[in-house]
Amino acid sequence: MSGENILSLIDLHVSADSTPILKGVSINFEKNKVHAIVGPNGSGKSTIAKAIMGFPDYKVTRGDILYKGESILDKTITERARMGIALAFQNPPVIKGVKLDKFICKICRDCQRASDNRSGRHLGEADKCTPDLTDGFRKLLIENLKDRDINDGFSGGEIRRSELFQVISLKPEVMILDEPDSGLDYDSLKLVGRTLKEIRDAGKTTMIIITHSRYILEYLEADKVFIIDKGRKVFDGDKSILPQLEEFGYKEFLNRNKLR
Amino acid sequence: MADKKELAFKAKDKKSPIGADIDLNVFKSEIRETSSESDIKQIAVEERRIMENVGVNPEEKKTAGIYVQIDQNRVFYNSLTQKAEILPIKEAIEKYEWLKDYYWNAVNVDADKYTSAVELELHNGYFIRARRGQRIREPVQACLMLKTGNIKQNIHNIIIVEENAELHLVTGCVSPNILEPALHLGITEFYVKKNAKLTFTMIHRWGKRTLVRPRSAAIVEEGGVFINNYIILSDVGDLQTYPTVYLKGENSKAELYSVIYGTGKSIYDVGGRIILEAEGAKGKIVSRTIGADESIIYARGHLIGKRSGCRAHLECNGLLLSDKSRLTAIPELEAETTGVELSHEATIGKIEQEQLTYLMSRGLSEEEANSLIVRGFMTINVPDLPPTLQKTVDDAIRLTKLSGF
Repeated sequence: MSGENILSLIDLHVSADSTPILKGVSINFEKNKVHAIVGPNGSGKSTIAKAIMGFPDYKVTRGDILYKGESILDKTITERARMGIALAFQNPPVIKGVKLDKFICKICRDCQRASDNRSGRHLGEADKCTPDLTDGFRKLLIENLKDRDINDGFSGGEIRRSELFQVISLKPEVMILDEPDSGLDYDSLKLVGRTLKEIRDAGKTTMIIITHSRYILEYLEADKVFIIDKGRKVFDGDKSILPQLEEFGYKEFLNRNKLR
Repeated sequence: MADKKELAFKAKDKKSPIGADIDLNVFKSEIRETSSESDIKQIAVEERRIMENVGVNPEEKKTAGIYVQIDQNRVFYNSLTQKAEILPIKEAIEKYEWLKDYYWNAVNVDADKYTSAVELELHNGYFIRARRGQRIREPVQACLMLKTGNIKQNIHNIIIVEENAELHLVTGCVSPNILEPALHLGITEFYVKKNAKLTFTMIHRWGKRTLVRPRSAAIVEEGGVFINNYIILSDVGDLQTYPTVYLKGENSKAELYSVIYGTGKSIYDVGGRIILEAEGAKGKIVSRTIGADESIIYARGHLIGKRSGCRAHLECNGLLLSDKSRLTAIPELEAETTGVELSHEATIGKIEQEQLTYLMSRGLSEEEANSLIVRGFMTINVPDLPPTLQKTVDDAIRLTKLSGF
């Protein structure tokens, strides 16, 4: 299996607050495949997502991140987003006074095409959003969030679905989902799983999923599974390792499968 | 009236406890004769444009009437419905003997040198009343324009909403960007009668050196509702105001909202005070202040509970955009008896990096992200505001050129 790599981490070292978190991670993400990043709490999984997105507090101290063959280290978050990288946040901040539906309307690719003079567009004016928007809210069962301030008082499950919807609206080439399934009840889990499956089946998006859930990875038929531990990639394989991982836990699993 | 003049005269040098003291003598009076007419088409195109900046549009079809005053003496007014009456205050005093019971009743004539100055030299102002039982959904518009430099503009307004009536009034106070200093003194007395409802939306847009000292108060009777919505998004020389609402009737209600976007080297001192004097009275004060450039903002709020069974909440939120700006929130709660429920919440913060990161990851530029956060912060949904007025407010916020980052 040697598809085209859309995104590559090369010997990536990342520090936050001058504390090293990632200590040399190399991973190739293949175009339009599903990649899982798993590992114990605090191992640096989320840091990988944040470093790819370009969070300013996460400094790349060594190594590189290549997107479509070119380094994106000097690109701003905005630039990376516009290049086609999107991240569903685990703990997104509240944005007071900005309604979720108006916001999605502002950021969504289709809406931007629909009204071409972006500079002249204002929030609240973009009511002519494609019916997709209303549809999306309904499909994800978050119609109640439409005219709420972004993330204000959202439950964990509501955040997951709102994040997923926003990321989908961006039509990204690379979609990074940081624990898209945490805090979901069974029904929501199914809903999110089904939505992600649709994206996978459409085959036009590279997915990077950070999760602890065997269910979602098996359901999505993850192509690759990487285990991160203590800031390093300690294992790569495919979804066939998931049952063992669940049975033994990370520590025992890694002991049994000594590096590579 | 003679008594009032006397009281005013005695208070002519009385300093206000809050705000820098202004030397009133440096501002001139206009020589122009008083004129008043009902043909609003006589307003110059250039003046109309200035009015539109504060949400006043005489062409607007959905309006119940209009009052426009330019500088001291040019007045245009026109009531488009029998349900409301609009008159220049000078004419109203002549016409109605009973108006003396309202004139300087909510506001004390000798409160300070500014109230005094308005009594001693009145230029004009509006008298607006919604007649008993009339519910007027279309807003009445008023505009007070200060166009000429170095002059003063002394205004006295009286608004009466009679029993069971409903009135929505939007007032734009505006100065085109004149470089000379000018002074605006505005007295406004609101009377909300039994089961009546008034929403008062005021949008200010002043010049860099305009000095502004409004003095207003409201008296709300049983079951009455008074909603005050104040917005200033422009430079100003120095502005200080502290409107007071007296909830005198049982189950009366007052809500005061203000949005202040401080720019340049302006000084804004804006308060709100609600005195709950009756059982079941309810009050709410919400202010949002944004400090950009080198602006200085004081957000004051004062709740006084005098009767058991009344309830009020105060909320002051500030957002600091510049290291050179200063925000001060001064909330005060005062209970004079048991059974009074008062609460407050005051915060001052800045735009969090986390918020910027989040919005930028959705493809917004840093500047777009900043302005979205600020505009969101300024957004207050005022209950009971007719949609056209909410739009006026939203437009004012939307069209503000944000500075400070």
